[in-house]
Amino acid sequence: MALSTNPTCRTSTSALPKPYRFSSNLSHLPFKLQKFPFRPSAIKTPSIFCTIAREMEEEKKEREPAVFQRPDSFGRFGKFGGKYVPETLMYALTELESAFRSLSGDQDFQKELDGILKDYVGRESPLYFAERLTMHYKRPNGEGPDIYLKREDLNHTGAHKINNAVAQALLAKRLGKKRIIAETGAGQHGVATATVCARFGLQCVVYMGAQDMERQALNVFRMRLLGAEVRAVHSGTATLKDATSEAIRDWVTNVESTHYILGSVAGPHPYPMMVREFHAVIGKETRKQALEKWGGKPDVLVACVGGGSNAMGLFHEFVDDKDVRMIGVEAAGFGLDSGKHAATLTKGEVGVLHGAMSYLLQDEDGQIIEPHSISAGLDYPGVGPEHSFLKDIGRAEYYSCTDEEALEAFKRLSRLEGIIPALETSHALAFLEKLCPTLPNGAKLVLNCSGRGDKDVHTAIKHLQL
Amino acid sequence: MACSLQTVFLPRGKFTTFSGNEFPRKMSHALPFPAESSGAIVCTMVSHETLTRGVVGLDSLITRRSPIKRLPLETEKKEEVCSGKFGKYGGKYVPEILMTCLKELESEFNLVLHDAEFQAELATALKDYVGRETPLYFAQRLTNHYKNSNGEGPEIYLKREDLNHGGAYKINNAIAQAMLAKRMGRKTIVAATGAGQHGVATAAACAKLDLECIILMGSLDMERQSSNVTLMKHLGAQVKFVDGNFKDANSQAFREWAGNLESYYFLSGSAVGPHPCPSMVREFQSVIGKETRKQAMEKWGGKPDVLVACVGSGSNALGLFHEFVKDEDVRLIGVEAAGLGLDSGRHSATLARGEVGVYHGAMSYLLQDEEGQIIGPHSIAVGLEDPGVSPELSFLKDTRRAEFYTATDQEALDAFQRVCRLEGIFPALEASHALAFLEKLCPSLPNGAKVVVNCSGRGDKDATTAFICKLQDSNGLVANA
Repeated sequence: MALSTNPTCRTSTSALPKPYRFSSNLSHLPFKLQKFPFRPSAIKTPSIFCTIAREMEEEKKEREPAVFQRPDSFGRFGKFGGKYVPETLMYALTELESAFRSLSGDQDFQKELDGILKDYVGRESPLYFAERLTMHYKRPNGEGPDIYLKREDLNHTGAHKINNAVAQALLAKRLGKKRIIAETGAGQHGVATATVCARFGLQCVVYMGAQDMERQALNVFRMRLLGAEVRAVHSGTATLKDATSEAIRDWVTNVESTHYILGSVAGPHPYPMMVREFHAVIGKETRKQALEKWGGKPDVLVACVGGGSNAMGLFHEFVDDKDVRMIGVEAAGFGLDSGKHAATLTKGEVGVLHGAMSYLLQDEDGQIIEPHSISAGLDYPGVGPEHSFLKDIGRAEYYSCTDEEALEAFKRLSRLEGIIPALETSHALAFLEKLCPTLPNGAKLVLNCSGRGDKDVHTAIKHLQL
Repeated sequence: MACSLQTVFLPRGKFTTFSGNEFPRKMSHALPFPAESSGAIVCTMVSHETLTRGVVGLDSLITRRSPIKRLPLETEKKEEVCSGKFGKYGGKYVPEILMTCLKELESEFNLVLHDAEFQAELATALKDYVGRETPLYFAQRLTNHYKNSNGEGPEIYLKREDLNHGGAYKINNAIAQAMLAKRMGRKTIVAATGAGQHGVATAAACAKLDLECIILMGSLDMERQSSNVTLMKHLGAQVKFVDGNFKDANSQAFREWAGNLESYYFLSGSAVGPHPCPSMVREFQSVIGKETRKQAMEKWGGKPDVLVACVGSGSNALGLFHEFVKDEDVRLIGVEAAGLGLDSGRHSATLARGEVGVYHGAMSYLLQDEEGQIIGPHSIAVGLEDPGVSPELSFLKDTRRAEFYTATDQEALDAFQRVCRLEGIFPALEASHALAFLEKLCPSLPNGAKVVVNCSGRGDKDATTAFICKLQDSNGLVANA
C-alpha cells in the first residue's frame, strides 16, 4: 500500500487563486462554486486552474498515462479532486494524510488491519462463478461470457463499506482520536461506522437527515444498539447532503479530538485516495482469485457507482492493465430525461461539492439538484473525483440503469442464484442485459456484488408482484 | 409381527408418546392383543381422540429387536451407521411407506461421503457460495469484560457462522442436501422451518441448483419472523402456512413428502427425525468443528478447552461438538432456552426438563406432559422452540460427555445487547442464549482457558423483536434516544 509522491512535481510558490469565495454565512453547503460560465462540452482549459495543474497536464503529455500518479501530491486526479475546504480543516487533512502515508508502510498496522479484515470482516470474500446467471445470458448458439460475482455481500454488516470503516477506525485510534463522526443516508454507512466504533471502543456520533431517520427507523435503532449517538439534521431538505454538511461543521469545531469517517471516495483530499486504498483489497483479491481460477485476468469489471467507493475498490488494481475493461453503472432513477435520477457522470457538470472538484448534478444557478434513486446508496448528487478523471481520459466507461431495470435484476439474481443483492448492486446486474450480448464467448466478467439485499426486500415487495 | 421398525403416522398429526415403562401398561388397555414381550419396547403413535375411544385405524406396532443397552462411545459410530442408534436414542420410527425412501437416502448418503467428485463440488460450493471457512474471531472486548479484578479470565473466541451466506450455519446442511437431492434425481424440495433461517437457506440452495422449493412454516412463527418469509419468497420458494408452530409445520412436511415420495425430497434442517437425518445433518454441519480444530491449532497451537453452543434441536451444537467428542479434555456445553423460566412452564428446555419418548421418527428427550402430549415450547428465540432434541445430544447428556444448561429470554436479550455494544456484532437471539451463559461460566474458568462459542447466526432478523422489547421496557434505549 506504499504510495510514492510524484518526484517531478514542481511546486509553485506563487499564491494560488482562491477557488471559491469563502463566506462566513455557511449555507446548507458550506463550499459551493459560483456557476462556471461555460458548458462542460466546451471545456478544454478550465477557467479555474492552478499553475501546478497546468504543469501536470504538460507533463502528462510527455509520459505514459500508466505512470501518472493518482492523485498527485495536491490530491488532484487531473483537474478533479483537490481540497476545497475551510482553513480550519486544512491542518486536520494534512495530519490525516501524513498519518495515512506513514501507516501505509507500517508493518504492524498492516498486520493488525489484515487480522481484523480476516477474522472480523470475514475476508477474503469469494469470487463466485454464477453458473445459472451465465447460462441465462448464453446466446442461442451457446456462446456468452462467464460471469463471476465478487461476494462483498458476505462481509460482516453485509456490504463493502466495512473495509473502509474498519481501517479508518484503526487509523483514528493510532492518531489518538477518541471520537468518530459520520454522516449517513439510508443508514448503511452509519451502521458500519457504529459497528467499528463498538469494536474499537470509540465514541460514535452519526448525523442523519430527519427525513431519512423517519424512513429508516430500524437502522437508527441498530446504530443506537451499537452504542452510537444518532443526531437528526433538520436543515435544508433534511437528507444526506445536509447530514454531510452538518458532519463537516462538527469536524471543523472538534478537529483535535475527532476523526470524520467519510464513507465514499468523495470529499477533500486525502479521503478519495484513502478510501480507495482501503477498498483496494477487493481488486487485489480479485486478481489473485482470477489467476487461481482461470490462470488470467478478468476481461471486464462491472460495478455500481454512487459515490464510487466499491467501484474504485475493484477497479484500482487493474487501472494500469489496459486490456481490462472497466464499467461503472449509475442510477438512472425514473429515466435520464425525467430529471429524477442520480446519473452524475452521464448528466452532471463539473463543480465543487463537499471539498472536491468533480462532476455533480447542478442546475443552471449552480444549485445542487436533489437526486433520486430507488437505492439509497446511489442517491448522491456527486461522484468521486477519480471516477470523473477516469471518465474524462476514457479509461473507464459509465452507463446507467433505471429503478425498474434494477428491480428486475434484483429479482433475477435472487431466483437464479439464491443471492439477494442490494438494490445498489442490482444496477450493475441490470447492465448485464445490455452488456452480455456484446461480449465474445468465454469473456471473463467480474461483477462487484457490493452488498446484500435483506435491507431492500420491503422496498422490492412494494414494487414487484410477489 | 414384522421385524423391521415400523410406526403409524396417522393423518391427524397429533403425536402421543410414552416414556419408558408406561408403554406396555397403557397399550394393554388400548390394544386388542397383548404387547410384545419384555425384550421389546412398544410405541404407538395415535391421536388423543383415538386413544380414548379405542384404537381405530392402527396399522402396526413398533418393535425393537434388541433390548435397550447403553453402547460405549467407541462403537457408537459403527452402530449408528447400521441402525441410526445413539445408545437407546435415535432410530427409525416411521411408517412402512417411508422405509424404502429412508434406506435409499441412507445408501446415497454413504456413497457421497466417499465420492471425491461430490466432495469437491461441495467444497467449492461451501467456499465460493457460502463463504467458508468462517473465521474464529478473538473477541477482545468481550474477553476483557469477563476478566476479574486480578485481570484473569478465559479467552473468548467466536466461531463466525453469522458470516455465512443467508446469515446462519443452516446453509452448510441445506446446500449439501440439495446437491444430494439433485444427484438422486428429485425435482422438488420440501422443508419445514421455525425461525425461517433453514427456510431461507433451503430456498437459496434450491434457486442455485434449479430445484422447486416448498417451505412450510407455522403461522405463529411467520408473524415473528416475517422478514425471513419475505426473503424466502424473493428466492422463489413457495411458502405454505400451517396452523401452529414448527412442530406442526414439520409434521405437515413429513405428510407432503409421504404423498410424493418419488419426486420430493424432504430436506431436514435439524438433527432430529428418523435415521439417517440426524447423522446426515450432523455430518454436513461438522465442517464447523473441523475448521475450529484447524484454526485453534493455527492461533494458539492447541485445542479449545470449552465449546459452547445454543441448543434448539441441536444441529449447530453437534456441528461444533462432533469433531471433539473423542477429545475428553474438551468440555462440551449446550445452552437451551429457559423462556420465561424453567418453572413457568413456558420454555424449550428439552434436555433439562424433558422425558424420553419417540417424536418425529426418533427416540430422544422431548417435552411431554403426563399423558404424553407434546408441550408447546416457548422462547423469544424462535429457532430454539423445538419440543424435541437431537438423539445424539440425548446420548451425550446421558453419558455425561456434554453438559446442558439454560438461559432465559431476558438473559438472552441482555447478551444480545452486550455483544452489540462490545463487539459490533448482532448475534441471533438463538446464539445469544449461548452468549448469555458466559455470565455464569466465565467466573468459574481458569485464567487463559480457551472458550469457543458458536455464533450460529446473525441477529438482523431479531432487531425488530429487540426493538419491540425495548419499547416495552421503559428503562431501555428509548430513554436515551
